[in-house]
Parts: sequence; structure tokens; C-alpha cells
Amino acid sequence: MSVATALPPAPRPARAGAPAAHWGRWGLRGTALAYLAVLLLIPLAVIFRDGLREGLGGLWDAVRAPAAWSALTLTLWTAAVMAVINAVMGTLTAYVQERFTFPGQSVLNALIDLPLAIPTLVTGVMLVVLYGPQTAIGSWVQEVFGLRIIFAPPGIILALLFVTYPFVVRAVQPVLAGLDHDEEEAAATLGAGARLIFWRVTLPALAVPIATGTLLSFARAIGEFGAIAIVAGNIPFKSQTAAVYVLGAVESENRLAASAVSIVMLAIAFTLVRVVDWLQHRRPERAE
Amino acid sequence: MNRKFVRGVGAALAGMLLLAACRAPANSGAPTAAGGSAAPIKLILGAYTTPREAYGELLPLFAAQWLAQTGQTVTFEESYLGSSAQSRAVVEGFEADVVALSLETDVTRIVNAGLITHDWKAAPYDGIVSDSVVAFAVRAGNPKNVQDWADLGQAGLEILTPNPQTSGGAMWNILALYGAALRGQVAGVAANDDAAAQAFLEAVLRNVTVLDKGARESIVNYESGVGDVAITYENEVLTGQQAGQDYELVIPTSSILIQNPAAVVDTYVDKHGTRAVAEAFVAFLATTEAQRIFAKHGLRSPDPVVQGETAGQYPAVADQFDINFFGGWAEATPKYFDAEHGLYYAAIAAAQGQ
Amino acid sequence: MSQSQLAAPPDGAGTRWGRRLLIGVVWAYAALLVVAPVAALLAGAFREGLGAIVAALAQPEVLASFTLTLRIALVAVVVHGVFGSMVAWVLVRHRFRGRAWLNALIDLPFAVSAVVVGYMLLLVFGRTGLLGPLLASWNIQVAFAVPGLVLATLFVTLPFMIRELMPVIEAFGPEQGQAAATLGASEWQTFWWVTFPALRWGFVYGLGLTLARALGEFGAVLVVGGGIQGRTDTATIFIFHALEERQYVGAYSVALVLGLVSLVLVTSIDVVRRRVK
Repeated sequence: MSVATALPPAPRPARAGAPAAHWGRWGLRGTALAYLAVLLLIPLAVIFRDGLREGLGGLWDAVRAPAAWSALTLTLWTAAVMAVINAVMGTLTAYVQERFTFPGQSVLNALIDLPLAIPTLVTGVMLVVLYGPQTAIGSWVQEVFGLRIIFAPPGIILALLFVTYPFVVRAVQPVLAGLDHDEEEAAATLGAGARLIFWRVTLPALAVPIATGTLLSFARAIGEFGAIAIVAGNIPFKSQTAAVYVLGAVESENRLAASAVSIVMLAIAFTLVRVVDWLQHRRPERAE
Repeated sequence: MNRKFVRGVGAALAGMLLLAACRAPANSGAPTAAGGSAAPIKLILGAYTTPREAYGELLPLFAAQWLAQTGQTVTFEESYLGSSAQSRAVVEGFEADVVALSLETDVTRIVNAGLITHDWKAAPYDGIVSDSVVAFAVRAGNPKNVQDWADLGQAGLEILTPNPQTSGGAMWNILALYGAALRGQVAGVAANDDAAAQAFLEAVLRNVTVLDKGARESIVNYESGVGDVAITYENEVLTGQQAGQDYELVIPTSSILIQNPAAVVDTYVDKHGTRAVAEAFVAFLATTEAQRIFAKHGLRSPDPVVQGETAGQYPAVADQFDINFFGGWAEATPKYFDAEHGLYYAAIAAAQGQ
Repeated sequence: MSQSQLAAPPDGAGTRWGRRLLIGVVWAYAALLVVAPVAALLAGAFREGLGAIVAALAQPEVLASFTLTLRIALVAVVVHGVFGSMVAWVLVRHRFRGRAWLNALIDLPFAVSAVVVGYMLLLVFGRTGLLGPLLASWNIQVAFAVPGLVLATLFVTLPFMIRELMPVIEAFGPEQGQAAATLGASEWQTFWWVTFPALRWGFVYGLGLTLARALGEFGAVLVVGGGIQGRTDTATIFIFHALEERQYVGAYSVALVLGLVSLVLVTSIDVVRRRVK
């Protein structure tokens, strides 16, 4: 998965004697900007205008409405829990894939990409079929742990883990593969065990890709709708996420609420994306 | 701004609009002025989720009749969504020629948007084409012994009902519960006691496991094994049983008569030139023949003839009331379902301990 | 570079079991999270045998929905291919105020909820939206028609082509462009005859990812399109309706096809990427 790339300062070619280039330059830029305007900027502008039509105060009131606030907090904490689990398991998976050899490795590699290929609607249905309260697993977990998976927050986290499965793995894998082994080998010759090497040498080098992968999966999770609508239960104050809340608000003509919560979701997503960009930009250039 | 820049922008916009326009489906509409065999015509139907199977039979039947009558071939485009969702879609630009929705309030929304301009209630049966009642679906053998409303409040019961924000069926369900409670038909709940009724709703809502987007989605979810009881349309249960599902139908002592309207959407039929066919179709839905088909698919009928014929299939509800008990949808919708002050929303918040 | 001396660390047996544990944990996680649901999907699809799957897929409704999905995906690929490359070029080679912000905004569609996308498009193109009356006067239908689906898909697939091309353009460097310029070529000419061919791998990856993403879009097309059978039901919407109609084999079969196609696309890109390096 491609992530925000760093922007090195683009060198300006000398164009002293090429006036013809000017037309092309502006035409190109104009076209590019128009395309972005229609597809991206205008829709964003419209929703901002709609959400702010009663001013910032109106927007805040709509967001602070109990159902909306509850939906936002549920979305954020389930995404956060998912992000932590994803960070750990994603890194582990990447490590195991890159550093060990074992049978079925290529199968695992394909599995990692699989969640991207399945429509989210189908993901939701399958999770209900497998882990719902009517299944052996679902009822067992409920009896033993008193915890309901599907139609409750754990189900939300499960669905989010599924759809973001590749994010951390694919962010870490290339970095891990390209990691300079000198430091690790040096540590090994000095007698450090594999575990120490991992914690003190490898992991710090992976900090940035783990962070970017995690943040991206968090951003993705906030907006997830298809799987959540099936899996979550959608009960206000209990299992209704922000995306489902927005749908309900749109459908019940509560436009201000819909726009307001959408704006919050967009703002969070945008912030996360900027952080990821910053993280990648500030990565010290390795000597090639 | 640079002239070339503007040219670039203009070219880009024109290109994209052209691309978009190319994709717009050719809308063959107007039949030729003189009668007789005319160009094939397309009628767009926007319906709620439940009567899918009924329309599956009604549409071809009407098409055959129309062909015989006028020599014109009519094809249908159908959309089935939650009633409120469908109603909103029409208001937002879904150009349905005919709408068949779950409740009057969803048609009113379209009227208020200026898209329906005729008096649709002047049609037979006040514009209602099918009826049903709110009922429960329970597992085979009724293991939790759910016989009536009061049983829904029992601890540990898992209930499915759709979301009133998107589903008309859900609104009927909630009103049926309120009505039964207010009419003193719920054991342990005093009659005419708003607070008691509200408390009872909260108790039931506490047992709700999933709020699906539409009535059909709710019952299908129930079918996959989720939940103990589904509060739903009687006809959903019957259709499911016809499709081989083995759940049982329980009709509570007191229930609301669900009345489903259908109407021609003036703005769109005039735009498409489909008024004649559309009006004929809506008129067709009120005929005894069509009513029998509705009855075949689990729906009750406002037609007294069909009612008589199907009395055995559709037992009378002991205490049946209708929307007028609440003063009509005009009063019920804001009182119970207003996003900020509606009693339903207060109940669901309270049920979650808010 | 997946094997190193570290695979056989000095500790011997103890760490071998540690390794097995780690591999086991990773597999268990993958099994519970991914394998099980996909297996359930396969089981659901094959419940009535291969013949039932073929029959379900041969339904005119299904074929129509596949055609619609492909048409929309193709439009997305072409539009993003053409305009996305321009954007990528401008972002890498030009400097102007607001460039950094624009660059950040491009990643937004990755994270925007499908519902929000659909809602935004309705606010702009719906009957009561910003452009509603204008479109109505031109008799162009966007919301609840195919153009709306196209726009929704264009929005959610916006970043892919651009993000695949930008690093390639950076790496490509301005030298050849400069050479062409000194020979008298305008920026447009340079772009189409020199740069474009050199970026083909970026295009291939961008095309593949755009396609894969477009195939699976559900929420936004549902809100904008309304799921009108025969007009705005894409393959994913078909699955949604099929589940409602209790047509389970049909629903799962279509899901399987979508999944397979997307999987092939995504893994091919992975494979090609490694080979090309």
C-alpha cells in the first residue's frame, strides 16, 4: 500500500529561452487542479459549509449531542485498540515472514493481501456467520468470558483487524528486508541473543514503518462502514460507530449532525495522514 | 489568472462532464401521442424492502395486462430499500415514477418536496395498497415462550428490530409497542400512562441486540440464527416461512394495523412521459386481482372481498388499532421520532444508561 | 534478503522453539482472522456444488452487475490514469502555494468513510444539492444514476495512481525533460513522449490498485446510487440485495469472483514489484 511520499524540492530546470513551455506549464497545472477541485475539493468544501452553517458553535453542539459523542468515542477507542493489536501482530507477522523460513510462507504472503480483495460487506457477513452469538465459538466465549463478540465492540475490533490486516505488515516488510545487517551481526558477534538483538537493534529501526502502518490502519478504521454495519449491532450508545451514526443522521434528515460528525471524521483522518507524511519525511536518509 | 490556465481548467471540466454524461442511461420515455402500439416504456418503482416477492409477481402480471390493453410493452426498474431510505432517495433525485412505501409519512416527505402534487389519498382505500400487522417471529417451538408484548421485557431475551431512522418497519414496531402499552394491553403496564409505556419501551430496547437498516435485513439476520425474537411485519414472517424458514409467527393481543401506501410521483412521470402507465399501475394495485396476489405473499388486504376470502389465513388481532390512535403520522412522527426530542430516542438513550 | 545468519542464532534449540512459537502465533492469528472467514465464504458458495455457482453467476442480473462494475472501474482507471498522472507530475515538478496541503489532501480518500463520501456527493450532485438545479436543467442525472457511481468510485480511488506515480517521477528526474526542452519541446510534449513511457510501471501498479479498489466499493455507491436494480446495482450492491433475497449461493459466488479478481490483481502487483526491483 502506497503511503504519503516525501516531497524533495523539485529542481527548476533552466528555461531561459523556452516561452512555449509556459503554456504547457499552466495548462497542465490548471487541468490537474481542476480535476482535484471537482473530485476532492468541492465535495469537501460543500460538507464543511453544510456543517458550519450554524457556525462553529452549532457544529460543536451537534458533535456533543449524546448519541454523536458516544458514536465518536466508540469509533475512536475501538480503532485505537485495533491499532495496538495490529501494530504488534503486524510487526510479528512481517518479522516472521522476512526472517524465518517455514512451509506455507507464500500462502501466508497471499493471505496478507486477501483482506484488500474482499468487499467489506462480505467480510461483515462472514464474521457474523463464524463468530456470531448463534455459533459455537460465539456462545462459548459468551459463557466463559461473559463477552459478546459479534454485535458488540469486540466484533467491531475484529472486523477492523480484518480490513487493516495488511497495513502494518506491508509497511514493515520492505524496511525489514532492506535493513542493514551490519549492526545486528555486530551485536551477534558480541554475544547478544536473538531476542536482545530484536528489541535493541531491529525494532528501533522499524519504529517509523510501524508507526506509519499503525496510523494508517487507525485512519482507515475510523471510516470503515460496510463490515461494521453488519457486525456491530448499531445500537446507539452501545454499538453504533460514527460512520453508522452519519448514515442514520442522513436518513433521518438530521443534516447538521451528519455533516458535523463527518467533518470531525475528516479532520481526524486528515491529521493522521499529515502525521504519517511528516514521519516519512523526517526519516533520515540512509547512505545509498 | 492566466488565459491558458483557464483553458486548461475549462477543458478538464468539459471532459469530465462529457464522460459523466456519456454514462447517463438513455431514458426512453414518452409513448407516441396516438394510442395503439407505442414505443416500449419503462416504469421505475421505488419500494420498501418487504413486498419484494409480491411485486415480483405483480409486475409481470401488470405488464401482460398493459400489453394486451394497449399493445405497449412496459418494463420495470425496481429499487427496494428501507422505506425512509427510499423516500429520501426520491427526494434527493431518484426518479421513481411510482413509490410503494411502508408508511404514509414517507410519502408525505415526497409530497413536501413538491414531487407529488395530486391528492394521492383520493385513490381507493385512501391510497393504501396492502396491510399487515406488527408481529413476532420466534424460533420453532417457541422455546422462550414469547406470547405477547410483556414477554419481550424479560431479562436475557435477545430481540431484533430494525432502526427507525432508516426503516419504516421499525417505526411501526415502536408505535405498536407504545399503542399496546397505552391501551392497557401489556401485562404490568398501566393504561394511558405515558411514563409506564416509556419505561416498558426502555426495558424492551435494552434487550435489542441489533438494529438493522431495513425490515428485510432484520429478518434475514434473524434467520442466520441471531436473536430469540424478531419484531417485524407479519408478512415478513409469512414470506420467510414460504421460503422455507422454520420460525413461528406470534401475533400479540394488541397490534397496530400497518398500512402501506403507493402513489404516482407527478414530477417524474411528467418528466418521463410515463403518467398513463404509472396511473394505470397504481390503479391496478388496488384491484381485487392484485390484492389477492398481495394476500398470497403474506400481506393483508384493505379490500373487503379479499379480506373475506383470506379470513382463515389472517386471523383478526384481538385489539387492533391504527395510526389514528396516535392522531395520525403528522402527530406521531415528531412526538416519537424527532431526532432531538422524540420519545423513541429518549428511550434508547435511557436503555443504555444515558 | 529474507535469510540471514540470524536465522541460525548461536542459542540453538531454545530459540528454535521460540521461533516455532512465533510462527505459530502468527499462523493462529492469520487463521482466526483471515482464513476462517474466507473458508466460510468458500463453504457458503460451494454449499450446493459448483453447478449452482455457475448457474448463479450466469444470471442476467449478475452479468449486468459485473458489467456495470467493470465499466465504472474502467472509467476510473482512464480518468485517474490521465488526470492522476498530471497531478503527480505537477506535485513533483511544480512549486506553488498550497502544494503541501494539496499533497496531504490527496491521501484523504484512503481514510474517508464510504458514507461520508456518498453524503458529500449527494450534497453536491443531489437534487437539492449545490449543482442539483444546474444538472437538472441540463437533464443530466448524477445522483441515483451511473455518473454518481462513477464519481463515488473516482473519489475513493483517487490516491492510488497519483501515489504510485509520484516516486517514479521523482526518480525519473528532470534531466531528460530538460534535454527535450532545450530541443524545443513544450512541457506537454515532453510529458507525453518522454516521461509517460518511462513511468509505465507506476502506471501498471496504479492501474491495478485502482481497479482492485474500485471492484470492492460498496458504501459510497449504495448511498449515492440507491441500489436500483438494473441501473445502479454494481456487483457489491448485487451481493447486498442477494443476501436480502436469501439467495446465498448467488451472493457468495459473486463475492468469490470479486475476491479472486482483486486478489490476483493485488498479488500480481506485489510479485511484479519484486521482480522489477
